[in-house]
Amino acid sequence: MEYIVEMKTAPGREEVEILGATFEEGKPESYQVGRWRQKLESRQEKLKYLETGERYYYSNDWYGSEKRKNPA
Amino acid sequence: MSWSLWWARSERDREQQFEIRSSLIKEVRKLAEQKKVVSIDPATIEMIEKAAAEGVSTVFERAANMRPCPIGEEGSCCAHCAMGPCRVPLPRNKEETLEEHHKRKGLCGATAETIAARGFLRKIAAGTASHGDHGREVTKIFIEAAKGEIEGFEIKDEQKLLQLALELGVEIGDRTNEEIAIDVGELLQQDFGRQEGELTFIKRAPLKRQELWRKLDVVPRGIDREVAEAMHRTHMGCDQDYKSLLAHGARTSLADGWGGAMIATELQDILFGTPAPAASQVNLGVLKADEVNVVIHGHEPYVAEMLAVAAQDPEMIAYAASKGAKGINLTGMCCTANEILMRHGIPIAGNFLQQELAIVTGAVEAMVVDVQCIMQGLAEVANCYHTKLITTDARTKIEGAIHMQFDAHKAVESGKEILRAAIDNYSNRGENVRIPDVKTDLIAGFSHETINYLLGGLFRASYRPLNDNIINGRIRGVAGVVGCNNARVGHDDVHVTLVKELIKNDVLVIETGCAAMACAKFGLLVPEAAEFAGEGLRSVCEAVGIPPVLHMGACIDNSRILIAATSMVKDGGLGDDISDLPAVGVAAEWMSEKAIAIGQYFVSSGVYTIFGATWPTLGSKEVTDYLFKEMEGIYGGKWDFEPDPLKIAEMVINHIDEKRKALGIDKARERVLYDMEMRRELGKV
Repeated sequence: MEYIVEMKTAPGREEVEILGATFEEGKPESYQVGRWRQKLESRQEKLKYLETGERYYYSNDWYGSEKRKNPA
Repeated sequence: MSWSLWWARSERDREQQFEIRSSLIKEVRKLAEQKKVVSIDPATIEMIEKAAAEGVSTVFERAANMRPCPIGEEGSCCAHCAMGPCRVPLPRNKEETLEEHHKRKGLCGATAETIAARGFLRKIAAGTASHGDHGREVTKIFIEAAKGEIEGFEIKDEQKLLQLALELGVEIGDRTNEEIAIDVGELLQQDFGRQEGELTFIKRAPLKRQELWRKLDVVPRGIDREVAEAMHRTHMGCDQDYKSLLAHGARTSLADGWGGAMIATELQDILFGTPAPAASQVNLGVLKADEVNVVIHGHEPYVAEMLAVAAQDPEMIAYAASKGAKGINLTGMCCTANEILMRHGIPIAGNFLQQELAIVTGAVEAMVVDVQCIMQGLAEVANCYHTKLITTDARTKIEGAIHMQFDAHKAVESGKEILRAAIDNYSNRGENVRIPDVKTDLIAGFSHETINYLLGGLFRASYRPLNDNIINGRIRGVAGVVGCNNARVGHDDVHVTLVKELIKNDVLVIETGCAAMACAKFGLLVPEAAEFAGEGLRSVCEAVGIPPVLHMGACIDNSRILIAATSMVKDGGLGDDISDLPAVGVAAEWMSEKAIAIGQYFVSSGVYTIFGATWPTLGSKEVTDYLFKEMEGIYGGKWDFEPDPLKIAEMVINHIDEKRKALGIDKARERVLYDMEMRRELGKV
């Protein structure tokens, strides 16, 4: 990978070298690229994702704003 | 001048309010009469001119020649029994006296309030019935597909299936997807005919909202039951208390948003896939001069799904080639278009008011329709060209159209049969073909699940970044801009003007239906549209890589907006109910009864909801006052009406700012970093 180095200055500091962005620019090639749900393959992975990613609804111990001592 | 000023109730204010109201009505009518631009879409204008030159009648021409009935428009007509229809209009050009108001009664004595409220409730019932029937049909196909009784349909999204299984308490274990799906489908099917208890998805709402609904006794018991009861209550000589009628309106609408519509969306996601970002194009320019053009129009996705499968079949492609066509070009119209766009990236030929104009291009071999929002005028327009208008659903037959009943049990073959009819028609295409060279890129597919994923990634999916950016003020708030087109207002003009103004003011816009298509046509549904957004919203869109206007699907998918709003609440930091959120709903070009049902379930769920175009209860000051003001005290959300898009934007922003103030996030808080000395001081207290 080719690293991009930029020179930056800050008040009261000497000029320093800063490593630039290393990510690849997004270049979507087809609608397939957006199909993120296919990344989860096994049933266990899917269930785990529901427990974490959709924790508002499917986790037993995380209720966001509704985590309260006396539920409404 | 604020529209809400209208509604002062005291006698003292009546004269003054009358002057304000009269001037507003005049202003609205003047705008409508002087409306010079029937559409801001160049493709639409080109085709209106082509239709006029070729002597073809379209909705635009009919709208210019026929004004709406002024009595029906304000909800002052009752045709619920054969002693009428009774007309109880507001006096024109003068404020009514109390005596005159008392005289405004039907033969049975029904007051203007009862008549307006009954009309409003019937609209809610019709909208709920439409979405409910859509959901019922999807559920039936879902169960049959799981049982292996029909071909061509399968479980495409296991994760969504597991999600519902968890929610419904269906055993997962080592069972097959089909076994789980049968249980899920049969449990949800009970929601349609349930007589007592609560709808399944009510439990998805914020806890505080559920508690409020139970307290108000508006939790729907069964989808069909609430619709049937609405029809009963509005029968002659039944419920004659407008507040009671409107309370049942709230309950019926909840049976739509958290019932029929939500069931349809969820089961469609399992059968056809939960939408994820998909690039495509929109407008009449997606039609192709050298291919067989098939436009699929309506609302239910299964016919369209099978046509999409059939159009890729080598046998069908070869058949098209044998007729001299270079391929089969499947495009969508109205909300069926949104369904197949969201899941397959199939391009959209246009929104509601463009349905006749697609045929006017002379390049459409078949317009295949399923249910809802299909104009009868299509048959006459199709008759002027070579286009075959094909109805596919026994619930929507049209005189003059060809009926080819879609059989889910032979789904693929049904799809092929319809395509063959279109291909056979290619050679009949006339000389008068003109496809507007107008199409625009768009990104769709922003389901709740995808938004959650995009904001946080696979390992930390979350609404937290959205909430954080609302709290820190980069995003001012969220507006759900939804709904139809209406030939009484400039086509697409109200949607686009409104949304541009909102994103300029850092309001993130989520859209469904024809509103989304309108904005897509004007380039607002691509990430590059961030340049039209305010600095704060732009920075968030660029960081996440999303457009400032997110397409969430068809009108049935407004239930996705309810889930997105609930997720924002549950994530925390923005109150503990939907009514606390700095969020607003708008249907600026609405026309269908479904829109009223959707608007009411937004209001009943705690959302301030503004409609444009026209308002169907203006004949009763009391009913309108109740909807526009008193409902807020009951449900935390209320209705409002304003036809001018810039004024709507102002109302949206003002409401968002009020909610921000109530949440204490209207201004930056001073942050103090404590040093050790300050900490020691604290310890002494």
